[in-house]
Amino acid sequence: MMKGDIFFNLSFRSVRLNFLRSMLAAIGIVIGVVAIASMGMLGTNMQLEVKDQLSSSANTIVISPDAVRMGPPGFTPSSSTTSGVTKSELTKITSVVGTNGTVIPIYTTSGEFTISSVAGRGSIYGIDPSDIGRFLKLNQSYGNGTLDLGVNEVLVGADIAENFNLKVGSRIRIGSFDSTSRPELRIAGVLQARGTVADGVNVDNGIVVNSQWYTEQYGGKDEWSQVNVIVKDTDYISAIETALDQKLNTNAKTPAVRITDATTQLETETSTLSTVTTFIMAIGGISLLVAAVSIFNVMMMSVSERIQEIGILLSIGTEKGEVRRMFMYEAFILGLLGAGIGGAASLVIGYSVVDAMIGTTAYFFEPASILYVPAAMLIGVVVCVISGVYPAWRASNMDPIDALRSE
Amino acid sequence: MTGTPIIQLLDVTKTYHLESGDFTALDHVTLEILENDFVAIMGPSGSGKSTMMNQLGILDVPSSGKLFIDRKDVAALSGLERTHMRRDTIGYIFQKFYLIPLLSAYENVEYPLILKYKKHDTTGKAAALLEAVGIDRDMSTHRPTQLSGGQQQRVAIARALVNDPKILLCDEPTGNLDSKTGFQIMDILCGLHREGKTVILVTHDPNIAEYAQRTIRLVDGRVAES
Repeated sequence: MMKGDIFFNLSFRSVRLNFLRSMLAAIGIVIGVVAIASMGMLGTNMQLEVKDQLSSSANTIVISPDAVRMGPPGFTPSSSTTSGVTKSELTKITSVVGTNGTVIPIYTTSGEFTISSVAGRGSIYGIDPSDIGRFLKLNQSYGNGTLDLGVNEVLVGADIAENFNLKVGSRIRIGSFDSTSRPELRIAGVLQARGTVADGVNVDNGIVVNSQWYTEQYGGKDEWSQVNVIVKDTDYISAIETALDQKLNTNAKTPAVRITDATTQLETETSTLSTVTTFIMAIGGISLLVAAVSIFNVMMMSVSERIQEIGILLSIGTEKGEVRRMFMYEAFILGLLGAGIGGAASLVIGYSVVDAMIGTTAYFFEPASILYVPAAMLIGVVVCVISGVYPAWRASNMDPIDALRSE
Repeated sequence: MTGTPIIQLLDVTKTYHLESGDFTALDHVTLEILENDFVAIMGPSGSGKSTMMNQLGILDVPSSGKLFIDRKDVAALSGLERTHMRRDTIGYIFQKFYLIPLLSAYENVEYPLILKYKKHDTTGKAAALLEAVGIDRDMSTHRPTQLSGGQQQRVAIARALVNDPKILLCDEPTGNLDSKTGFQIMDILCGLHREGKTVILVTHDPNIAEYAQRTIRLVDGRVAES
C-alpha cells in the first residue's frame, strides 16, 4: 500500500538523493535505539538472573529474631534475654509446620580463618549434618566430598575454594591470628555456588561446620541465628507464615521474630534494579532527544531545498494533507533507517554488554529482554515522526505563488 | 461576444500590502473569457499579467470583486475545493516547465491522475498523451534534468492535459525555448484549442500572441484592450 503511494516514492527518492545527509541524521537515532535497547536488556537480564537465583529458595521461609528491645537508656536486660531463636520458639515452629515442610535451625557468625597461613574472613554457618543435604549441594570437581560432616570437618563455599585453591582433604584453621585457640578442621567438601539467595545462607564466601562444633566453639547453644522452613508446597507458604506469625509473635507491639521469604527480597531487588534500569534508559533517551533535533534540522533543510517543488505540487492540485504526508513519510523513512540499523546493532552490542556485565547471556533471548529491541526501535521511529511534524506542517502551508518564485 | 463564459472577472482588484505601502496589481478588472476561447494576455512588466494568471489559476483570490471560474465563485470555495479545481478544471503550463525533479517524465504526467483517482494509471492515458506531444517511450523514463527544454515543455503540456481540464493556462510557454521549438509548442496548443480547450496565454512575444483569437492588454493593472 505504502510502497505504491506516489508520496512515499517521492519521500524515498528524496532520502536516496540526499543519502549521506540522511544517514548522518539517522545515526543519532541508531545511537538512541542502541542505548535504550542495550540498557533495557542489561537491566532486564540482571532482574531475570536475580529472580532465577532467588526462586531457587522461593520455597523457604526464614525466621530470624527481631531486633532485641533493650528498653530505655540505662535499662539492664535480664539474663533471659536472648539474641537468637529459642528452643521453645523452635518447638512452636516445628509444631506449626508439621508435615508441610522441613525445619532447619542454623547458627551464623562471621569469623576469620587461615588456610596455609593465608588469612581470610567469611560467614560461618553451624548446621546439623542431617539438614545440610536438604538445601546445599556439593561440587565434586574439587574432590569426592561428603555432606555428612564430622565434628572436626567443614564444607567451604565455591568462592573460598577457588580463591584459596582448595580441594577436599585440605586443612583450614578457624579463628583469628591472635586467638589462642585456632582449631584445625578438615575440608570434607566444596559446595556448589549459590549466587544471590533469599534463605540467608550465602555460603559462596562462607564455611559450614557441624552445629555441635559450632556451639562448642562459639557457645549460644539452642539460640539459633535463624530457622529456615522449606515448605513442600509453595501454595501454602503464606498460610504457614500467617500461622507462624500468630504462634510466635503473640505481642504485636514487640514481635519476637521476623518472618520473611524470597518474595520479599525478590520484590526489593527487582524494584531497585527496575529503578536503576529506568534511570539508565532515561539517560539513553537523551541521545534520542539529540537525534530528534538532528532529524528536525534535516527535515527543515529538506523543506527549504524543495520549496519550489512544493510550489509545483501545490499549484497542480496536490492537497495540503498530501504534501504533509510526503514529509512525514520522509521522517518515517529516516526513523525506519535509524531504528533498523539501531535494532540490529542493539542485538550485537546488547549481547556483548550483557555478557560482559552479567557474565551470562542465558536470559538474553527471553521475551522480557529481547522485547527492548522492537520497543526501542518503535520509540526511535516515533521520535523521528514527531520531529517531522513541524517541517511537514510548514511545507504544506506554504503559499504556492511564493514557493514557485523561490529559486 | 457570444457563447458561455467559462471565466468571469467582475471588478476584480488585487492589492498587496507591502512595507513600502499598498500596491494594486489588478485594478478593478472586469472581463469574460468564453469556453473554447484562445486568449493572449499581453502587457509590459508590472502590468499585472502574473497576478492575473495567479487569479485565473486559483493560486490566489481577489482582494475585492468577484471571480467566477466554471461558474463557481472562487472566493466562496474552501481551500480543498480550490485545490480540486486546480487539479481537475485547470491545466497549468509554466515558462520554466516546473516538472517534479524526482519523478520521470511518465510519472510527472501520471501524477495528476494519481492525485485525482488515488491510484496509478491503468488506462494508458499518460503514455498516450506523452506520445501525442512527441515524447517516446524511452524518453518518458528520463528524469526532467535529462530532457531538453522543448521536451520538458511537451511533458508539462501532457501533464496539464492528463485530467482533461477545460482551461489551459500557459504562462510564457515558449519563453525558455528556441523559436523553432516555440512554434512547435504553439502548434500543439492550437491543436488543443481546436479540440475544444479554452487556452489562455501570457506572452511578451507578438508573434506568439498572433496564434490567439483575442488579445487582452494590461497596463498598470487595468484592461487597456480586450
